[in-house]
Amino acid sequence: MSQSPAPTTAKNAKSIGLTFRLLAFLAAHPTLILLGVLAILVLVAGNIRPSYLTVAGLRTTLLQAAPLGILAASQTILMLTGGIDLSVTMIATGAAYVTANQSPNGAAVAILFGILVGLVAGSANGVGVAVFRVNPLIMTLAMSGILLGLFTAWTQTILQGSTQVGGLIKTVSAGAFWDNRIPYSVVVWAVLSLLLIWLLRRMGWGRLLYATGDNEVAVRLAGVRVWQVRISAYALAGVLGALAGILLAGRTGAVDLQLASTFLLPSVAAAVIGGTSIFGGVGGYAGTILGALILSVLNSILTFLNVGQAIQQVVYGLIVLALAWGYAGLTRRG
Amino acid sequence: MSTLLNGRTTQWQRLLARNSWVLGVWLLLGALIVWYSTLIPVFGQFQIVSISKNSLPLIYLAIGQAIIVIAGGIDLSLGSLLLLGNVLAARFMDEQSLGVVFLVAVGVIVGLALLNGLTGYVISISGVPDIVVTLATSYIWSGLALWILPSPGGGTAPEMRWLFTGSPSGIGGGYGLPILMIVVPSLLVYFVSRHTRTGLSLYAIGSHPVAARLAGLNVRQAKIVSYAIGGAMAGLAGLATVAITGTGDPRFSVGATATLNSVAAIVLGGVALTGGEGSVLGVVATAVTLIMLNPILTAMGIDSNSAQVIQGVLIAGVMMFGGLAILLRERRS
Amino acid sequence: MPDAPALLSTTSIAKSYGPVVALRSVDFTVRPGETHALLGANGAGKSTLVKILAGVQSADSGQVFVNGQPVDFPAPLDAMTAGIATVFQDPALIPHLTVSENLRLSSIAPAKFVEWLGWFDLADLDLNALVQELPLDTLRMVDLARAVARDPQVLLLDEITAALTADQAERVFALLAYWKGLGRSAVLITHRLAEVMRVCDRATILRDGRNVALIETASVNERQLVEAMLGAPVKPVAQESRETGNAGQGQNALEARGLTSRHLVQDVSFAVKSGEILGVVALEGQGQERLFELLSGERQPSAGEILVGGKSRHFRSPYDAVRDGVVLVPGDRLLALLPSLPVRENLAVPIFNHIRRWLGIPQDEPQRVAKAIDRLSIDTRAASQVRRLSGGNQQKVVIGRWLVAGFRTLLCFDPTRGIDIQTKREIYALLRELAANGAAILLYTSELAEIPLVCDRVIVIHAGRVVDEQAAATATESSLLTAAHGLEVAV
Repeated sequence: MSQSPAPTTAKNAKSIGLTFRLLAFLAAHPTLILLGVLAILVLVAGNIRPSYLTVAGLRTTLLQAAPLGILAASQTILMLTGGIDLSVTMIATGAAYVTANQSPNGAAVAILFGILVGLVAGSANGVGVAVFRVNPLIMTLAMSGILLGLFTAWTQTILQGSTQVGGLIKTVSAGAFWDNRIPYSVVVWAVLSLLLIWLLRRMGWGRLLYATGDNEVAVRLAGVRVWQVRISAYALAGVLGALAGILLAGRTGAVDLQLASTFLLPSVAAAVIGGTSIFGGVGGYAGTILGALILSVLNSILTFLNVGQAIQQVVYGLIVLALAWGYAGLTRRG
Repeated sequence: MSTLLNGRTTQWQRLLARNSWVLGVWLLLGALIVWYSTLIPVFGQFQIVSISKNSLPLIYLAIGQAIIVIAGGIDLSLGSLLLLGNVLAARFMDEQSLGVVFLVAVGVIVGLALLNGLTGYVISISGVPDIVVTLATSYIWSGLALWILPSPGGGTAPEMRWLFTGSPSGIGGGYGLPILMIVVPSLLVYFVSRHTRTGLSLYAIGSHPVAARLAGLNVRQAKIVSYAIGGAMAGLAGLATVAITGTGDPRFSVGATATLNSVAAIVLGGVALTGGEGSVLGVVATAVTLIMLNPILTAMGIDSNSAQVIQGVLIAGVMMFGGLAILLRERRS
Repeated sequence: MPDAPALLSTTSIAKSYGPVVALRSVDFTVRPGETHALLGANGAGKSTLVKILAGVQSADSGQVFVNGQPVDFPAPLDAMTAGIATVFQDPALIPHLTVSENLRLSSIAPAKFVEWLGWFDLADLDLNALVQELPLDTLRMVDLARAVARDPQVLLLDEITAALTADQAERVFALLAYWKGLGRSAVLITHRLAEVMRVCDRATILRDGRNVALIETASVNERQLVEAMLGAPVKPVAQESRETGNAGQGQNALEARGLTSRHLVQDVSFAVKSGEILGVVALEGQGQERLFELLSGERQPSAGEILVGGKSRHFRSPYDAVRDGVVLVPGDRLLALLPSLPVRENLAVPIFNHIRRWLGIPQDEPQRVAKAIDRLSIDTRAASQVRRLSGGNQQKVVIGRWLVAGFRTLLCFDPTRGIDIQTKREIYALLRELAANGAAILLYTSELAEIPLVCDRVIVIHAGRVVDEQAAATATESSLLTAAHGLEVAV
């Protein structure tokens, strides 16, 4: 009975069938579309500026994509649970400040302190959301304000001193190896990516993340303490934010309070373009990686075109909208 | 007779119970104003004017956000629309005749209503979540704003400044007009939202979209209307900004901050982010409260950075308190 | 009887949801002035047909006619304009608005509405009350009064009496009789055949998405209606033989002593042994929901204690209960499903309920899941998203979670609600099998006829108290019903 054709497809069954099957295939493998979009954008960029399709050209994009990709990892994890983190870029900035401040004590100590900032702020977000049931948008928005105020004040007091990060961090963030071909930061990003994909797909914790975003009650009735899942997700998101901040600080060499702020909306956009649902339960990090790369290449193209900030923003917005729309249309069909 | 009296008391009690949050935030605002007046040596016309006029953009934006959230959406592009309204006014009102200024003002409000109505339409046909679509449009509108006015500048007519600030130069002036400009639009939107069929349909689609459709409402149309109202309020906020500052400012960060403040204001004002609940009246009080925090903390000798921290702690604290209250109520039942 | 012209009719209506065919071809006719029943087993396509007639969904093919004119309903409003008013199972009222605001949204004059409310003895209903403050039965009657106040040609009533008391149902029937007297038509979608025999003139029977019979109710009895619905002679539901020999021999697996929660549950004591199925019988709203919430750790009792294996336990959350082997199959299966995740991940969730198991996935997980799928014979054709499964398969997934994770005491709240007879049998057989293997099972079911067939013992709850205990072998539907009303059972 499953083989009987629906009445509407009786006419022109063949041509419709083919397009339908293609769409169904793409709907089942949306990452292929993202890969296609990425390839087209790279070719467009190469067309505008041939030097882009060299090692050096692509390296610039990757250097940009690494911190964005890691910040978007925070959003992906949280969006899978039905949350979001609007404070992630302030966490990144704060971690960068602390790392810079501790840099005279050696890179290891500095990075450790930076990560600690992410852990504390992220866990605080988690407690607010999971225990006190504050809406994630509001909780992290408030956290962002708190961190901005704290760090603005601390830069004049306890965080006075070094605003430069150490040599090692700079090398890892901005340097490259193998004849200056592969940036270290991309290696960091790749390792983190593998770790995350493994966590999400092959760990019980990852399963619970998806499950919590899909139906929190079902997870609770299964005997899971959902608050533990949420707090750990926010804490990890904070740590990832801190790592991204440290990379950003290393790339520019020095820190300031606007260090990461422009990455906030792109970090959410990258996850959304990558197919992670903002309502939770659907998505994954592989898509987000592609999303971060697409946005970074797009950025390069807009820079090459030299159209000015205004047009850049408009085009950026239109493309994010078009991608999200196309994605929604495709997956809804299936 | 006694049942009649009883009926009336329960009506009153019910009114109180239903609006307890709105009442609470207004009382809080009242207490803050009284406290502020004891903190500073002189509390008079100047302070009232300054607080009321500086609150205007956030009040308008928060009212717009409240309407959209009540109808079950959320709009992260409102701040960018404010920028757009601000620069359109500053660019095209500068050194123009009163008639042109008036036309530009109307054009800004109507134009932004149409633009954001389009956003609402896109959301309803695309199936993309509100938050994602408006995130994208926030780039588009602020890009347009930057294109129209690449650097801060422009100006407006003294009459515009007078309308929103009570003074043609934007300095000094009486508090009558700024307060009127708070009261009139707020009450207008409140009346429309609670006492017209259109307004009720916004609550309906936010509260229970399925039931709303089954009851014969046009859900898509209501969604578009909510976004259009949001756009119009953002336009008004843009006009207020040009009137207060006298210039246009296209910086992206200004818009982003305004958006986030509008969300904070509505949530504190008792509008549930899940839709269908809350009133624009509470939102007005919390918008003024958020604006007042800065001068109060300054008057207390607390620097602006700490003020930022305190504002954040306050928002998180109030929401935690709300969450805890719900938790306890559930436990007890 | 000469063919009266049709008021509302359909020809060859078909509708599919993706791969699932809901309606194959339905011809359905309502005459002016008749009360017409629409009958069918679960999944026969009744609710889909209602949705199409109400303009909620559009048909893939086929045509709807009103007064002989072809009509098309892109939205519910269009159906209302054409003179079809529908009362759905879930009241289409806005919870955060008052009753009068809801009327305003539908453009209905309050006076007319209140007049119709009088039929239900609700004329003094406070129109300024928020909808969310009103009880469900009141809301259904408010919804009905609103539909009638629209002055439609046809009333479409989907399970209108489901949430109503017998008294309220009587009032609805009185209104329907009056409505018929006005020469108007009504379509009743219902499971209660007694109502059909009493109120309806004709009945259209759907089976597997087709109309298979059109019956003048005066000429048949209830049993014949059921046979027409099933397409086969009626057999008792769970006729599997029960080994009464070893039941009730085990230890007390779960025991309640003086359990109390506000006024809802009062001093409830009982014990369920390993290897035993203890039935719980209660009319709607006698505190059985709260009792299950207490036992599963969703809520804490205000007095009394829960004992597991003879030891007193304090459940602060479902986590504590699950760790003691006390697990819940909730009444609303959607509460226990992860709708957008695959069957396998749904089944495996309880494996990870302790932080110790967060890192890694057990080696034997695929086998355990496969075994559960096999044992429950879950249809995994639409396995990539649980939301696409049929209700029966979804319910199997909910039970299957615990087969994968393991448990000692199973709390089942109305597990066969809205499920087809085949799956029902499978579920009961599974429960018996689990009990035979040593599980203790507490089973609440709203279908009294099934209690004697599945359970070993039954407790009856009335107004939050245990009022009676009966051996299932000797309990009858009438003895249970008598006790459930709080009356003494004559021995």
